[in-house]
Amino acid sequence: MLAGQLALNALALGSAYALVAIGFVLVLNATTAVNFAHGESVVAGGFAAVALATLLPADIALPGLVLLPGVLLVTAALGVAIATLAYLPIRSRPPVSVFATTIAVGIIVANGLNGAFGAAPRTAPPLVGGGTVDLFGLALGVQSLAIVATAAVLIGGLALLLERTQLGRRFRACAQDSEMARALGIPLVRMTVLAFALATALAGAAGLLLAHQFFVSAADGGTLILKAYIAVVIGGWGSLRGAAAGALLIAAFEVGVAAVASQPVAEGLLYIAVLLVLVVRPQGLFGEPQQVRA
Amino acid sequence: MSNALRAILIAAALAALLSGGNAQADGPRIPVLVPITGFLSLEGTSQRNGAELALRESGVAFAVDDTATSPEVAVNAFERAMDDDDVVAVVAPMLGTQMLALVPLADEFGVPLITVSGTAKITELGSANVFRFFPGDAVVKAAQAHYAVEARGAKRPAIVYQTTAYGQSGRAEMARNLAALGVPAVFEEGLDVAVKDMLPVLAKVREAGADMLLLHLHSGPTALVVRQARAMGLDIPIVAGSAMHQPETAALLAPAELDGVCAESGASPISEDDPGVRDFVADYRARYERAPDAFALGQYDGVQMVLAAIEAGAETPEAVRAYLATNRFDGLAMTYKSDGKGNMAHSAVILCYGGGEDRIPRIVRRYDNLTGAL
Repeated sequence: MLAGQLALNALALGSAYALVAIGFVLVLNATTAVNFAHGESVVAGGFAAVALATLLPADIALPGLVLLPGVLLVTAALGVAIATLAYLPIRSRPPVSVFATTIAVGIIVANGLNGAFGAAPRTAPPLVGGGTVDLFGLALGVQSLAIVATAAVLIGGLALLLERTQLGRRFRACAQDSEMARALGIPLVRMTVLAFALATALAGAAGLLLAHQFFVSAADGGTLILKAYIAVVIGGWGSLRGAAAGALLIAAFEVGVAAVASQPVAEGLLYIAVLLVLVVRPQGLFGEPQQVRA
Repeated sequence: MSNALRAILIAAALAALLSGGNAQADGPRIPVLVPITGFLSLEGTSQRNGAELALRESGVAFAVDDTATSPEVAVNAFERAMDDDDVVAVVAPMLGTQMLALVPLADEFGVPLITVSGTAKITELGSANVFRFFPGDAVVKAAQAHYAVEARGAKRPAIVYQTTAYGQSGRAEMARNLAALGVPAVFEEGLDVAVKDMLPVLAKVREAGADMLLLHLHSGPTALVVRQARAMGLDIPIVAGSAMHQPETAALLAPAELDGVCAESGASPISEDDPGVRDFVADYRARYERAPDAFALGQYDGVQMVLAAIEAGAETPEAVRAYLATNRFDGLAMTYKSDGKGNMAHSAVILCYGGGEDRIPRIVRRYDNLTGAL
């Protein structure tokens, strides 16, 4: 019973982390640089949900899931802003320059959210409702199930976009060889801005998924970008599947290992696992051919 | 417009949004250096609001500066503030690591620090310039342990605390008090502030056979533990740390989740019937559109005592320090008097939520003068 609940909680948390990590990799592949404002994009998604929830009619109990399109739009726009302000002006500089500009944008976003929404943690509406449902004798949280289902749909949709559409093929072409893609007439700048928008929208969706069960506060961004970074290191720098697998592994340590050891021990074991991966398989669990590790 | 100019304008707008002040050409000044951004921004904002409310009423000049979360930022803010010769006292951040960095500087400049920081060590450094207007762990954790054991009959308490300096300091005091009462904790675990899922630790609390859950966590983690304990059907009483008294923490939980949850605190302004406190709550709500917590009230009282010193003729930092060190002050939350180390607050309250829609807790027990310093 408890093991089932723990497994579902780990899967729910890992699903949300996977959306964050996949977005992180999308920008990484498009730019070869790390977007350190990505954690704040998750937070912005959470606060967008909190703000949009106030627009829902008070007399009709609508599920928080109806906020998803609005959150995706708001955070996609934020992604365009991050690309325009923090990446495009310095895209010809070394990737390390993007570290500084995206860190700066992240701080501005975090402080702006703090000023606009206040310092207190906030909570968004549940995705479909609260309580538990009985499945195979297990009492499983409805919110956790909804997080897993929503993340699965979003990740499945992204996979279809990348694998089955012309836009997806262009994304992959830019990620594999940007100079060749440009030579073939693919608009590199437009694709990069789209990658930021898509990545930030996924981060925003993760913010919505996390904001009810785990709350959202303006200072959360630093922790989330660290998780995304570790997930990508574990899974393989540049690998979307690896990012998702790394995110699920982090959640497994946070929930599963923490249930048998203490939380600080579980955290220590996670970092030992990261070190082992780096030693035994430096390219990560799903590592792709050699990439520039920023 | 160039990118650089755009960035400067954005930064200036944000700085204006996050700071404030009251400029006066002459007379005493009291800089307000508090964490308005970062992980302690909820408590730091309360601190700022309490200080600001007292200072705006007085007309004494002040300026607010954000110390964020690092000691370096706090030190820089302090040094900038000390460029002014008219500074008679400084409202100092409640973040313990920042206070530990500022205490040597305060001694160097000879300026008293007025704070609500709970970190025990700041008043154990031998400094004559630290004045804490919120009961330290030695007071509130004693109240929490005594209430759990004596009033609620805990026999097998479990402690869940934060792994920060704040959390470890509180855990040590709580464990010491429980042991002294003959009821040692059957389970203890520290949590990082970033932990999201509380089911693992709550499962271990249940497995240990605990009959009461004692918390010493920040606001978000406190609400997460309470919510998940209710969701998993862990029906043992919860007596939380002072974060649970904050209206913002209660707002994260449904009334049914709050029902029966208790907490320690230095005060609970929204629960008090005292006319002075009610006026404070009304003024605070009118100005900040939110309810005040004990940190706001403690900082308000601390600044009021400094203003009383100025009113009594103290025009220099030395005179203000001497007044704070030797006088007794009847504040709104409690009576303050230094114990010789700068600990001014010696009383605590226990409050419990009744599950009503208003989320206003009632004070169920008062522990006055726990240190015997009054």
